[in-house]
Amino acid sequence: MAKLTIPSQELMYSGHAACPGCGGALAMRLLLKGLGPRTIVSLPACCWTVIGTPYPTTALRVGILDNPFEATGASISGLRAAADVLGMKDVNIVGFAGDGGTADIGLQALSGMLERRTNAIYVMYDNEAYMNTGIQRSGETPWGAWTTTTPVSGDLHGKPEPKKDMMGIVLAHRPAYAATLNPAYPEDFDRKVERARDIVGPRFLHIFAPCPPGWKFDSSETIALGRLATDTGVFPLYEVVDGRLAITRKTGALKPVEEYLHAQGRFHHFTPEDVAKIQAQVRESWDRLVQREREDLSRPH
Amino acid sequence: MIEIRFHGRGGQGAVLASELLAQAAFLDGKSPQSFPFFGVERRGAPVTAYTRIDDRPVRLRTSIPNPDVVVVLDPGLLGTTRVTDGIRPHGLLLVNTPKSSEELEAPDGVRRAAVDATKIALSHGLGTPMMPIVNTAVLGALARATGVVSLEALSRAIEQFVPRSPVENRLAARDGYTTVRTVEVGALLSPLPVGAPVPRPSGEGPIAVVPSETIHTAAWRTFTPKIHLERCTKCNFCWKFCPDDAIEFDPQGFPRIRLAYCKGCGICAAECPPKTIEMLETLA
Repeated sequence: MAKLTIPSQELMYSGHAACPGCGGALAMRLLLKGLGPRTIVSLPACCWTVIGTPYPTTALRVGILDNPFEATGASISGLRAAADVLGMKDVNIVGFAGDGGTADIGLQALSGMLERRTNAIYVMYDNEAYMNTGIQRSGETPWGAWTTTTPVSGDLHGKPEPKKDMMGIVLAHRPAYAATLNPAYPEDFDRKVERARDIVGPRFLHIFAPCPPGWKFDSSETIALGRLATDTGVFPLYEVVDGRLAITRKTGALKPVEEYLHAQGRFHHFTPEDVAKIQAQVRESWDRLVQREREDLSRPH
Repeated sequence: MIEIRFHGRGGQGAVLASELLAQAAFLDGKSPQSFPFFGVERRGAPVTAYTRIDDRPVRLRTSIPNPDVVVVLDPGLLGTTRVTDGIRPHGLLLVNTPKSSEELEAPDGVRRAAVDATKIALSHGLGTPMMPIVNTAVLGALARATGVVSLEALSRAIEQFVPRSPVENRLAARDGYTTVRTVEVGALLSPLPVGAPVPRPSGEGPIAVVPSETIHTAAWRTFTPKIHLERCTKCNFCWKFCPDDAIEFDPQGFPRIRLAYCKGCGICAAECPPKTIEMLETLA
C-alpha cells in the first residue's frame, strides 16, 4: 500500500445516514482518525444524531452521549468531571455540535465550558444553517444566503444579517487551543486534531462542512468547494495556541470570491454588487488575520 | 378505519402521495389523516409516510405499525427495507415494479398487487429515468386495488394540489388505475381492530449497540463509481475524501469500492488526480 498521509484507523462505521457527499460526515471520520479510540463524543440535536444514532444503531466505534440541543458545553464538562473521578486520564472528551447548536442554542453552555477551563475539545461543524430540519437560517448562515427562512423573492434578498464570528467569541475566552479546519485539506485537518488532542485545557475546533442539499451544489463537489472556500479567503485556515495566531495555509494571492459564490445555488441571486460587497469583507478580514499573525509573531514569549 | 403505509426514497414523492390520498379521501367525504415519519429525510434515503382513512374523525396520533395496505414506490427497497413488517393478515402489498403480482413476496394471506408506475410516469414525462416521479401512477393503482378512494376524487385532488404538471399526473393516475395487476382485484379490507401490540426488540436497554454497518446504503445510489486500475497511481485521494468510508484497499494496495455502502456521491471520481474513476448510471 502506498504511504498514507493521514491515520489509517477508521472509527466511524459505514452505513450511516448522512446525505451523499456530506461534509459533516467526512469531518467526523477525519476527526476520529486523529483522536483515536479512547474518545467519548457528546452529540446534541444536529444532523449527526440522525446520521449516527437511529436506535438501535450507532455509527461510531467510540462512545456517544446524546444530549439536548443547548447542552453540549455542559455535557462535556460533566463527562470530564466523571472521567476525573474514575481516574480515566487518557480519554478525549469531545463535544460535536452543529453551527445552530453552537452559535445560537448552545452558546451559553459553550461559554461556560470555556470559562470553567474544562479540559475538553468542543467541535463546531459548520454547515451554515439548520440543515437537519430542512435548511433554516442560523447565526452562522452568511449574509445574503438563501435558506427556507431567508427566501429570495421581491424585496427579500436572502439572509439580511452577516455570519456570526464564532472564532472571535471563542478567542475572547482565551482557550488553550482554537483552530479552523477544512476536510478539503485532510493533512492540515489531521495535524490540528492531533495537536488539540495533546493539549490540556479548553480547546475549540471550527470545522467547515459543505452541505450539498442545503447549499445547492452537486454532491461530487464537496471537496472542490471546500478548497475554494479556503483559497478565496472565505474560510481561512489558522490556529491559535496560547493566544498566538498562525495562518496554516497561505496561497500567493486569494482567488476571487466569485468562484466560491457562483458554485452554489444559495447565492445564485447575487448581483455583481453583492459579490463586490462579499469580496471587500473577505479581503478586510484576511488582512486583519495577517496583521494579527504578524503582531503575535513579534510579541515576546 | 383503513391504515396505509408508504415506503419510498427521498425525492420520489412518497410524502406527497400520502397527502394526496388523504385529500382525495376528504373529497370523497371521508375523514382522513396523513403525516410522514420524522426520520432520515435525505435525498435517496428510505422514507416512510402514513395515511389513515375513516368515516369518522381519526383520533389516533401514532405511526402505523400494523398497516392494512403497504405501498412501495421503489422496488429497490424490497431488498433493503422490511416493508411488510407488521402488515395485517388479509392486507395488501402494492409495489411499483414491472414484475407480475405473483412474483412479489409477502406474508401468507397478504394480497399482492403490482403496477409499472415507473414506465407510466416516464410515458407522461414525469421525472427523469434516474428519478421518475411515480407517486400519482401508484395512487391510481391503489385506488383500483383497494377502493379506498374513487378515481374521480383522486383526479380532483391531483389537479388541486400537485404543484407541477397536474394534467400529466392525472393521466398517470388513470393509467395506474387501469393497468394495476393484482391476484384478485376488488374491495379489500374487512377493517380489523386497531391497537395490536407493537413488537419491540427485547433485552436491550436504551443503549444503541448495533453497528450502522448492518445497514446497507447501496440503494441510495443512482450512479456507481468504477475504478480503472490500469491508470491508478495509488495516491489514496479517493479513500481520503470518502464521507462514507466506502473505499478499501485490495492486497496489492489498489482501492476498491465497498458497494454495499457507497451512496454514489461522486467525490472520488471528482478528486482522483489521474481521473481513473468513472461514474456509471445504475438502476435499482
